[in-house]
Amino acid sequence: MTFESQGRSLSDFTVELDVYSGPYEWLLALILKDELEIFEVPLRELVESYFGSRDPGAEGGLERDTDFAGSAAALILLKSRTLTPELDPEAEVDDGEMLSPEELAERLVEYLKIQRAAERLREIFASNAGHYPSAHSVPPRPGRLRIKPDRVSLAARQAFSRLIEPPVGHLGPITITLQELAGVIRAALANGPISYERLTDGMDRLNRAVAFAAALSLAQEGNLTLEQTEPLGPLTLKPSA
Amino acid sequence: MREQTSVHPLPEHLIEAVLLVSTGPISPPDLSSATGLSKRETETALANLMERYVPEGSGIVLRNVAGGYLLSTNPSCSVAVERFRKEARPAPLSGAAHEVLACALYLGPLTRGGVSRVRGVNSDAVVRSLIDRNLLVEVGTDQDAPGSPALLSVTDEFLVATGASSPDDFPPVSSLVTQEELSRVRERLASHPVPPDAGSSEPS
Repeated sequence: MTFESQGRSLSDFTVELDVYSGPYEWLLALILKDELEIFEVPLRELVESYFGSRDPGAEGGLERDTDFAGSAAALILLKSRTLTPELDPEAEVDDGEMLSPEELAERLVEYLKIQRAAERLREIFASNAGHYPSAHSVPPRPGRLRIKPDRVSLAARQAFSRLIEPPVGHLGPITITLQELAGVIRAALANGPISYERLTDGMDRLNRAVAFAAALSLAQEGNLTLEQTEPLGPLTLKPSA
Repeated sequence: MREQTSVHPLPEHLIEAVLLVSTGPISPPDLSSATGLSKRETETALANLMERYVPEGSGIVLRNVAGGYLLSTNPSCSVAVERFRKEARPAPLSGAAHEVLACALYLGPLTRGGVSRVRGVNSDAVVRSLIDRNLLVEVGTDQDAPGSPALLSVTDEFLVATGASSPDDFPPVSSLVTQEELSRVRERLASHPVPPDAGSSEPS
């Protein structure tokens, strides 16, 4: 893990881990895009290597340290959320989960065995690495390669008939964008919860659909919560706490 | 151009040819079926081929894995193979992934909840990653549990990757931990009772 040159923030900070090798910022991007699992990234190794490579006297060092601390804290939070079972505030406390010391000991013993088995598996995987099977693949059976002329005609008719676009004249134009609707929803929520029916009163079917998409988008971003007490029942939009 | 002569191939040649065109292990019955050889002829031919394809004598090795036989490159030649195929060896699995595989191997088939319970942390993301890598597979559902969650087990690809013919090839889990170690865990817990609100954690 090295700083290759003096530069802005962490752009010149590269990492070398078992699961990834390259710029630190790309590592963050891969994690955020779910292309690299956060649980695969050894955060302790990441932090230790950063401290081992940093130059306290370098220009912009404080800014770089701050940026790293911020991103590392976010990674720790993300990893802990990934590893911790989701909390359900409405779930009843299961008294059966309160373990006696003997039960806890048995669980630890079981985990110790699994941990040892995992270490053994690591050795077995390593000793068996590097075997590549034949790259040949069996070609399709000759029978499957026969082409019947009538099937070709049918396929051609189906393919060419798709050229006719389905009529969309019954659909009105979308007169409002998602961003505009998000603004409308935010303004409506300033006065407290509002029902979806009231929010979309006066809109045509298409714009009501766009309003629903905007509400979902805002809910996903955490800007509001959606409440529906029963399937297909009335939907209420509430400002986030 | 030389004319092709009709020479009756030896049993070893027949089996060798079928193995060459297979990307996965082939069981002896399937080899017999494909080649028309008897069970005894197949076994003899396989034994001869195993001797021929020893790692010391060839760039190709014959492996008895996942209940069948598979021709593979010799690991000592892997660098050249990887350079030719312009691909790096897959990244090694994490410690968490090895633990999940150990759970499925020794305690499976078991549910995602079962894996998480043994490890003390949510293992869903690790399980997803292992399914993507074809090392874990859903083999059914637990009908007795609420919601009938899927049961997980190791795959044939797992056996191929570990060089095992079947799950029985692995040492029993009890042999991996000594009685002294187990006693030490129990004694330590007895002398340091754990507070009821203590949570579990996984090292970062």
